[in-house]
Amino acid sequence: MNALLIAHNTFREAVRDRVLAGLVAGGLALIALTRLGSALAMGEDLRLTVDLGLSSVSLLGLLVILLVGTSLVTKEIERRTIFNLLSRPLPRPVYLVGKWAGLSAALVVVASALGATLAILVTALGHPGHAPAIAQATYLAILELSLLTSLAVLFSALSTPVLSALYTLGFFLAGQWVDDLRRFAAALPDPLRATLAFTADMLPNLALFNMRSLAAGGESTSALHLGLATGYAVVYCGCVLALASAAFESRDFK
Amino acid sequence: MSAASPSTHQPSSVRSQDRPASDRSVAGAAEVPAVRVEALSKNYRHPWTMRVTPGLTDVSFELRPGEIFGYLGPNGAGKTTTLKILSGLLQPTGGRAWIFGRDIRHVESRRPLGFLPEQPYFYDHLNGPEYLEMVARLSGLGGREARAAAVHWLGRVGLGEHARLDLRKYSKGMLQRLGLAAALVHAPRLLILDEPMSGLDPFGRRDVRDLILEQRERGVTVMLSSHILPDVETLCDRVAVVLKGRLERIALVGELVQGGTPRIELRIAGQPPPDWPPSLAGAVRLAASGVDGVLTLHEPAKLQLLLAWLVERRVEVRSVTPMRTSLEELFMAAAEDAAFHATPLRRSA
Repeated sequence: MNALLIAHNTFREAVRDRVLAGLVAGGLALIALTRLGSALAMGEDLRLTVDLGLSSVSLLGLLVILLVGTSLVTKEIERRTIFNLLSRPLPRPVYLVGKWAGLSAALVVVASALGATLAILVTALGHPGHAPAIAQATYLAILELSLLTSLAVLFSALSTPVLSALYTLGFFLAGQWVDDLRRFAAALPDPLRATLAFTADMLPNLALFNMRSLAAGGESTSALHLGLATGYAVVYCGCVLALASAAFESRDFK
Repeated sequence: MSAASPSTHQPSSVRSQDRPASDRSVAGAAEVPAVRVEALSKNYRHPWTMRVTPGLTDVSFELRPGEIFGYLGPNGAGKTTTLKILSGLLQPTGGRAWIFGRDIRHVESRRPLGFLPEQPYFYDHLNGPEYLEMVARLSGLGGREARAAAVHWLGRVGLGEHARLDLRKYSKGMLQRLGLAAALVHAPRLLILDEPMSGLDPFGRRDVRDLILEQRERGVTVMLSSHILPDVETLCDRVAVVLKGRLERIALVGELVQGGTPRIELRIAGQPPPDWPPSLAGAVRLAASGVDGVLTLHEPAKLQLLLAWLVERRVEVRSVTPMRTSLEELFMAAAEDAAFHATPLRRSA
């Protein structure tokens, strides 16, 4: 219940922030601009529109996380708004879960708005068959953004906004190449192989949430993929938030 | 002291080992203190140099239900550290504390607590009712109850006309009033107020004083820190003086001020004659105040002698006022005394 209150407040804070409105407007403009590049696509204009449109969902979501999420907790500590919350019967883990849920909800709204716009655009172009694939890709992008939000909350609870942004960006980039890292590790001698394999296991496997190429071709993914991705995101977010809670539990607020 | 005593019901879920030793021995028989602090200490460690600075050392005290307790000390003495430990924002390095018999390490100990931090800050994007409703619900009120309490308390602190105004547009005094409303919105049994008069004009200070006294009438226990000592003297039943992280003194306000040296102030027209009789020498000090002269008599027993001498010299006496030592003077004396004993250089001097 209290987590919902914190989530509601965080959501309200995010959607009333002009930064978010600006990013959504930018995203919508970006999707419209993909049509301008279609002349250069040599018959692949639909694929280009869908691919760029879905990429803009992920990248704008990432931008929201870097601009808002990485200072989510730090800002509350610096501005001392947290004093009036944690001096109440509010467990600190509940507070963190609420912050994560609130920003994730805002990202769901942003990603859904952009995904729906893309689906409407593609349908208007005479390809309604692409809409289910776009919906699936948007859902996976939302999962990916929620996972990244949990990392931003972890770093924000422990570090400064700038460092949190750098760490989150680092995990986002490294998470794209987890499979490559695993393949690379397999070719190395043992102590290094084990270390790199362990690192690859710890990093979020963000490739799991990427079906942009499939959606660009109008192909849907399997229910198993969607289920696995959902389960992976839930478990990974749970672990990260548990880690953040453990670190946050003993933190002093001077 | 208090007009009414609050309920001392202790939740059954409080395990015996969570209660202080003295409570266990008389469980159910004695009144549970609103706050009990035993040997509380807090050290701050610098993150880079790892150097440890003591913030609070071995502080123990108890708050009786329904009293107003002043917590005094200069900047950096450890007042805010104590209040933040009690409200769960800082973890003590040593010692323990209980709120209505419940260990402060349990988050539920904060359910009966209303806390006003020093210079409170709020969310820019919310308005007063939205903020108060949120914090009321966090303290356990239901949705409808929280909404009603939010509207009531916003009006009670004089912000009812600004209900639609975003908090980023509030003045410092308005933020302080909202902080008080946030501390009171869930009808707490214990109020911890860190500098509640800070940033308020004289009208605001009077309103806050009235509000605190009203809470005491309801049986609420109040612990407040303040630099405005006349307010503390007016409001508090007991005060504690904390200096350099240590509790130096704790006493009833009446005991403290009555224990000071009494004196009498006489206001006379013009300046007194310079030929003081030997019997008054050293007992009277002269200070000018505009056209009047102000005499301070440090030995009240010599008042008749002084008055007789002034009448004999045809000096017009305009007022005779018995003065008592103010809390401010006692506080300054305690601070200077502690500094004297703590500084070897001054001690040897």
